[in-house]
Amino acid sequence: MRRTESRPQPPVTAAEGDEEREAGVARLFDLHYTSMLRLAALLGADDPENVVAEAYYQIYRKWRKVRDAGAAEAYLRSIICNLTRMRIRHLQVVRRNTPALRVESVASPEDSVLLRDDQRALVGILRELPARQREALVLRYWQGLKETEIAAAMGISPGSVKTHAARGMAALTRRMEARR
Amino acid sequence: MNTVPDDMERRLRETLDTLAAGVHPARDAYRTARGDWRRRERRRRIVLALLVAVVFTVAVAIGLWVLNQAPAGNGAIFTEPAAAAVHPDGRG
Repeated sequence: MRRTESRPQPPVTAAEGDEEREAGVARLFDLHYTSMLRLAALLGADDPENVVAEAYYQIYRKWRKVRDAGAAEAYLRSIICNLTRMRIRHLQVVRRNTPALRVESVASPEDSVLLRDDQRALVGILRELPARQREALVLRYWQGLKETEIAAAMGISPGSVKTHAARGMAALTRRMEARR
Repeated sequence: MNTVPDDMERRLRETLDTLAAGVHPARDAYRTARGDWRRRERRRRIVLALLVAVVFTVAVAIGLWVLNQAPAGNGAIFTEPAAAAVHPDGRG
């Protein structure tokens, strides 16, 4: 008679759970850190490293709920969009209330990259767009996401994504043509 | 609705790609970030444990105080003397 070996699964201890979480987050870090850092920078975060580190910390904390790598990437993207939007809004309020800070300029990615004049102008206009429009454009034209994915990242409906993207693109086109 | 020229889309893609290519992660980004997560997680757990301990202590203290405030005599129901509470036929 064949004996079937059915060993009971040992319960996962807290230390093992922590190790698994560390390994999982490390894997996610390897896979997505650079693209998330670039996303935060393109969305206009003045400190993209902090924004992305905070997003990874949220994943680290809620690791038991977020196991699937695909879901984790979407979740990271969504956190980064929210954190960047909050950060920009906070900076706007601070600058409005303390006029002395208005003149301070923060080092942005376009300072270190060799951009043509028209590209620099485009980036300038993109920075002046409302946060939602900028997010929709970056997620669509840089990340190449579908409308449903953009909607999930921004926490809005696909219809609203279309509206924001169309308005943003129209504003870019209009202002670039006015610049000529 | 406005029609967007393809050229504009292409220029936007190019610009965003160029801009993104200029952003590079720091070499020790993972180590720095991991140190920060661990520190924050440890602090969160300590604060949580302290909070639970404080709530538990306060709850126990309130319970003991309430018990201590209870009247020492018999309750309102058992006001009669013990002998009167016994049934006349002796069945208790």
